[in-house]
Amino acid sequence: MKFDPALALHSLPDMLHGLWATIALAASVVALGLLIAIPLAVARDSRHPVLAWSAAAYVIFFRGTPAMILLFFVYFGFGQVFGARDGFLGALFSNAFLCAVIGFTLNHSSYVTEIVRGGLLAVPKGLVEAAAALGIEPRDVFLRIRLPLAIRYGLKAYQNEVILFTKATAVVSVITVVDLTAVANNIFYDTYDPFTPLLTAAAFYWVLVNLLRIGLARVDAWLNAHLKADESRGQAIAVHSTARAPAPLAPLGEPAQ
Amino acid sequence: MTAAVPAGDAERPVAVAFRQVDKWFGHFQALTQINLDVHKGEKIVVCGPSGSGKSTLIRCINRLEKHDRGHIVVNGIEVGDSARAILDVRREVGIVFQQFNLFPHLTILENCMLAPRLALHMPREKAETLAMRYLARVHVAEQAGKYPAQLSGGQQQRVAVARALCMEPRIMLFDEPTSSLDPELIKEVLEVMEELANEGMTMICVTHEMGFARRVADRCAFMDQGQIVEIASAGRFFDAPESARLKAFLSQILH
Repeated sequence: MKFDPALALHSLPDMLHGLWATIALAASVVALGLLIAIPLAVARDSRHPVLAWSAAAYVIFFRGTPAMILLFFVYFGFGQVFGARDGFLGALFSNAFLCAVIGFTLNHSSYVTEIVRGGLLAVPKGLVEAAAALGIEPRDVFLRIRLPLAIRYGLKAYQNEVILFTKATAVVSVITVVDLTAVANNIFYDTYDPFTPLLTAAAFYWVLVNLLRIGLARVDAWLNAHLKADESRGQAIAVHSTARAPAPLAPLGEPAQ
Repeated sequence: MTAAVPAGDAERPVAVAFRQVDKWFGHFQALTQINLDVHKGEKIVVCGPSGSGKSTLIRCINRLEKHDRGHIVVNGIEVGDSARAILDVRREVGIVFQQFNLFPHLTILENCMLAPRLALHMPREKAETLAMRYLARVHVAEQAGKYPAQLSGGQQQRVAVARALCMEPRIMLFDEPTSSLDPELIKEVLEVMEELANEGMTMICVTHEMGFARRVADRCAFMDQGQIVEIASAGRFFDAPESARLKAFLSQILH
């Protein structure tokens, strides 16, 4: 067995087609996952027990269920369980791609919920108090202080989850969605060469994952500009301590009205 | 408690009134029957051993802690369960914490602009002018573009004062504002507080800086086990303390 460059080249259009399906699936799930996870994370620590318990049950159930079984269940099971063979629901559950989005979103969002929640819990209580004491309303305290900081604290863990999940979409062919892995498998069945198509697909995954990594690293650098600034402080302190003549305080300026 | 209100102060309007205030943390009684009138423009220093309820006392004023019994009235607003009243009180009362609590992801300028923008819906340019004015007043205007972590502790605490002043509060609370600062940085914060006091701000300060208390305070209160044990003008407080507990406390801290 050896790598066959001619076959790899020949398979590129099909591979790109599969790659596109993988990207569309992953992007939809990541977007929906975040949309669902933030309110769920808030609900997890809500004072209303019904809300808190519902969110906890969601996380416990969907985090504990293998993604592949969820896919099977959504694609083959929902239609029968809910008798949704016709009409809108029927159309929905007979579309494999939509079922994949639903199945993966249930799984992915339960992980992201815990990441967001961990971030929210890590925000120092004093910062929330300081914001509240300034007369800022709770909704704004959440949107401007708690959530932005929680996102910064959770970003590394989130990056991990997004990359793991993107590669885990490879099981999606079990419900007939033709993604990158499915394309590679089909070429294997046609040519009896398992090596070339799988290696080619692996290269595409590698590039995709590393583009994700670079993209998220940029988001991280942008969000954490204040920490970068902190690192450069070592220098500033050194200058400070040598040149620290106690500067006389300027006389008091004009008092404010 | 009818203790030594300096002449003239008794006629001034009351800014903060405590009436028979009790507060528990579980089974631990943090405040016991607190009665206190703080008059407009008055500066009160609260001291006492740790765990005596000093922080709890001032944190009840802006509802960072909830009192369990009695009444607290701030500029005519009863501090209670009403969310509206709590927001109103918080816009009258600024607070500076021991741990600075600057928002780490915002620049110094943004830290100061946040509350005027969100709570008072002030236009950006106006909020920026306001923030720069108060940053200049606490002598850190040149740091406006930096992040909190790039500043020294003393500078951070002065920014925290400016941030509170940007809401133009009528009462300022200080909760051990110099306790987490290096000795060399304490002075610059105390000087800013003194400037504020000289401009007539109503201030309640929990602090162990006795020099500051002597120079600035109209009255000093000594707390122990959740009670105000003694309250007197700064002179009498230090030179002629009445209670044995205050005498013991002062002899501990004034070497």
